[in-house]
Amino acid sequence: MQVVLGTLLASLVPVVGFNAVMTSEHFASFLVFIFIHVVAFAYYIKGLLSQKMFKVAVTLVASVGMVLCCAVVAVLIAMVASSPTKGWSGRSLSLLDPTYASKYIPIIASVSEHQPPTWPSYFMDINVLAFLVPAGITACFLPLSDASSFVILYIVTSVYFSGVMVRLMLVLAPAACILSGIALSEAFDVFTGSIKFQLPGISRNSQIDVRDTSSAGVVTQDDGVKTDKNEESLKERPSKKNKKKERENAEKALIKPPLEKRLLVLPLEASVISLLLLVLLGAFYVVHCVWAAAEAYSAPSIVLTSHTNNGLHVFDDFREAYAWLSHNTEVDDKVASWWDYGYQTTAMANRTVIVDNNTWNNTHIATVGTAMSSPEKAAWEIFHSLDVKYVLVVFGGLVGYPSDDINKFLWMVRIGGGVFPHIKEPDYLRDGQYRIDSQATPTMLNCLMYKLCYYRFVETDGQGFDRVRKTEIGKKHFKLTHFEEVFTTHHWMVRLYKLKPPKNRIRGKTKKSKTKASSTTGSKGSGKRNPWQ
Amino acid sequence: MFVQPKREKEIKPSQERQQRNTSLQQLGPKNILPLGYKCPRWPIFSPYSFSLKTPRSTLEQSRRDSRVRQTGERRDDDAMEAPQSSLRSALVFSFIAIAYLSLLVRSATLSSPELQILNAERRIDLTSHIIRVYLTLKVENTGAAPASEIFLAFPPAQVDHLAIVKAAATFGKKKKKSYLPLDVNPTDLPDAPNGAKCFSISLVSPLKTGESVTLEVLYILSHSLEPFPIEISQSESQLVYYHDSAIILSPYHIKHQTTFIKTSSPKVESFTRVEPSDRVGTELKYGPYEDRHSYSFSPIIVHFENNNPFAVVEELVREVEISHWGSLQVTERYKLVHAGARHKGVFSRLEYQHRPQFSGVSSFKHLLATLPPKVHSVYYRDEIGNISSSHLRTNSKKSELEIEPRYPLFGGWKATFVIGYGLPLQDFLFESPDGRRYLNFSFGCPLAETVVDKLTIKVVLPEGSKNPSAVVPFAVDQRIETSFSYLDVVGRTVVVLEKENVVPEHNSPFQVYYNFNPIFMVAEPLMLASVFFFFFIACVTYLHMDISIRK
Repeated sequence: MQVVLGTLLASLVPVVGFNAVMTSEHFASFLVFIFIHVVAFAYYIKGLLSQKMFKVAVTLVASVGMVLCCAVVAVLIAMVASSPTKGWSGRSLSLLDPTYASKYIPIIASVSEHQPPTWPSYFMDINVLAFLVPAGITACFLPLSDASSFVILYIVTSVYFSGVMVRLMLVLAPAACILSGIALSEAFDVFTGSIKFQLPGISRNSQIDVRDTSSAGVVTQDDGVKTDKNEESLKERPSKKNKKKERENAEKALIKPPLEKRLLVLPLEASVISLLLLVLLGAFYVVHCVWAAAEAYSAPSIVLTSHTNNGLHVFDDFREAYAWLSHNTEVDDKVASWWDYGYQTTAMANRTVIVDNNTWNNTHIATVGTAMSSPEKAAWEIFHSLDVKYVLVVFGGLVGYPSDDINKFLWMVRIGGGVFPHIKEPDYLRDGQYRIDSQATPTMLNCLMYKLCYYRFVETDGQGFDRVRKTEIGKKHFKLTHFEEVFTTHHWMVRLYKLKPPKNRIRGKTKKSKTKASSTTGSKGSGKRNPWQ
Repeated sequence: MFVQPKREKEIKPSQERQQRNTSLQQLGPKNILPLGYKCPRWPIFSPYSFSLKTPRSTLEQSRRDSRVRQTGERRDDDAMEAPQSSLRSALVFSFIAIAYLSLLVRSATLSSPELQILNAERRIDLTSHIIRVYLTLKVENTGAAPASEIFLAFPPAQVDHLAIVKAAATFGKKKKKSYLPLDVNPTDLPDAPNGAKCFSISLVSPLKTGESVTLEVLYILSHSLEPFPIEISQSESQLVYYHDSAIILSPYHIKHQTTFIKTSSPKVESFTRVEPSDRVGTELKYGPYEDRHSYSFSPIIVHFENNNPFAVVEELVREVEISHWGSLQVTERYKLVHAGARHKGVFSRLEYQHRPQFSGVSSFKHLLATLPPKVHSVYYRDEIGNISSSHLRTNSKKSELEIEPRYPLFGGWKATFVIGYGLPLQDFLFESPDGRRYLNFSFGCPLAETVVDKLTIKVVLPEGSKNPSAVVPFAVDQRIETSFSYLDVVGRTVVVLEKENVVPEHNSPFQVYYNFNPIFMVAEPLMLASVFFFFFIACVTYLHMDISIRK
């Protein structure tokens, strides 16, 4: 029921539409859904009919069903086989094969959310849970039941997925929570149990309890509350788990209760201290979660802040540029920028963009990537053919903002090169290294992105020291011929350039035909030429 | 290879400047002949204006066109303002001729009291983009009948930009001078030539024959400094034209008059000479001129540097919402524009940050808003969220809000923002002796030294208030609207006041009177309470009712 409802609701979302039914990723879940229903139906029929009638019905239905199933499967296989990726979208394929996206679809690999996470990001996101999860897995194995095996499967798959893409950390989070809960509850169980055993006065009582009822869990819990006030807060959580455990313990306890309990006994001091430490751990985790929610998850990525001696310093450059665009350009002017800033420009600057965060149209993004990685004149022609008036680049070199366009530039080259093969990634790399200093390749130093980012940058400090790349830039003094700077924000984070009117083109045209003949002949042979040239 | 073009680029504007300077120097003092109003030698302006004519762009043209469209006659005056060719000068000649004709006609027909101005002194303050003119007139009645009104005349081009005219009569000698404000009203003098508009000052007691009175007149002009060149690059400073007459336009004979013009900087590119005229530092002196006839006019142009922020609010909507629960909520929506010479070409942040004294001198990035004291919950934002660059300083006299738009404003650049704040009600809402309530609030724009092209004040009265009436010390458009807020049933009465061309001198208090029964204050809480009450009653009755058929 949930599957049907969920699918129906999902298909109401315009972006999803019939994709929820049509793509191969969802077949497995639907097949399981159908299978379960068939089984349930069979049981229902079995209850209705007599033994003999049932056998007849089974043979009838099985034969007809087999034929139907074969037909459906054949159609499905035919449909699936007809598509090159077997009906799988690129994102799902890159889940199965983590290298798939970077090999075939650079646009998927370029998104930072699709990168494999680093160890610090695990620690940042799930913190102490990262250490509790292994303990939880062990705890699940101790008595392996249906439920615990499901939990183990859940955590294993979600760990795999989160290892492929950092955004799938979301999938890992609930699994990690469940397992850490199990681990914590087991730990509390053991510690409180051993405390209860060793406390004078209650020990006799509890001995009887263990023998009488086998529900040691409940008693230990009660005792724990009495002995340690600190636990009270945390007891709430594991209590539910304890009930489950209680059942499992019950089975074990029935067999040899006193022996096992005694084996689990830890020294009193050690258990008290460990309990306190566990409570502390939980408390610190809460502190960390609040901090992470405030700093990492809630902070808007377009307003940056830094704490200095004078207090908070706000870098509001993005909105500065967007506000400038919205008030000081014509309403129908078009802005070209890398697609990351597409939705922002549309929403905040109220201007038409060439590419935005909707990444369906790969070719369009590749066109912008090609323009950014082309020399100035070729880029001007591409932008002019797209009726672009302004070009927006994000530059962090002055203040040290690392996620700027120069750091994203290799992706522009890859994505552009994926569609227009005359853009070749090795042209921008020196010995496989991406660099913008004096060792950089001439293609790199002459491309539009480099020029727009570093235009007159050297005049700020006299050396052109880039604070993100921690190096001096390679080409320091140059002039723009086809673009002019119209706005740069306070911290130079956003730079806006206007395409010079085509007047310049007439003068350049005669020269261009010569240069074009010499420069583009090489790329002509590669079959798919840049259509904009 | 890389350095050279840049140097070229740097040289370029200064070369232009030099060329312009030399062309001006060529004109020089020896070329600028003294201009008398009787025989203005316009052709000397033509080489100058020709040399500069090309950069004039369509904006100015359209402005000029619109001005011409308003009255046919004004074309003459226009020509006198911005003489561009010998054709125009011819028109000016014709204007002078007309002035003389009308003068003859006037002296023949004028039967009203014969007045003459013994001494007139005019001080024109051009330091900001709001032009303040202080006029001191000593008027004597030479006719037989007593005079109760004194007229001021303005050329039509100035009337359009005239924001406010104030007059006061002075009594006593220098030590204990006292001022008595007088009423000023626009009137039509039938014999005023060439669309000159008149304002009448009503004297408190009629001026008897042979008596004289001293008047202080202040009038303020907005949008009267015309940037020229009309587009400047980032490194240039802003030069503006100011057009006026060397001789005070007046319907009366003026015996003795002097005009002082104070410019914002000592850098005066050129000014029309009407002998005797002189310039010392930032002050230009025209006159003294003796015995000028009524409606004499001698157009002058002052071309000088003015880098003051030309902050113009194109549209300002101030919404004042009264809540009798104790607060006054003010929301002000601004559409700000830099109305100076338009920015041309490149904006280089590098130049702007590293050479602030040479780059973008006419731009501005700070604005100061003076808010009432005890202001609370101030916000400053625009469509895309809070603008983080603002400072609020409060003391017991006033609150000062220093705001920075998101980006520095260069000529022609625009910005929009919203300022909102709350105020304690007891400072602004009072009860008049007849039992009505009235709001006493400040008209005008809280931003310092700005012109507001269109100001709309909306006073949202609490629901249930009746018979609203506004008392404003000057003429405004008024109308009543209804607005709805949360839980409103009949809607709130909104008194809308609209005024164009508002300058800081309009920041005087205005009152909105209305009747209000305090019972309406509790209407909405009562409504809410009763809704919940009936809801619970309904629940209770439902639970206690037995509606089953089977007993």
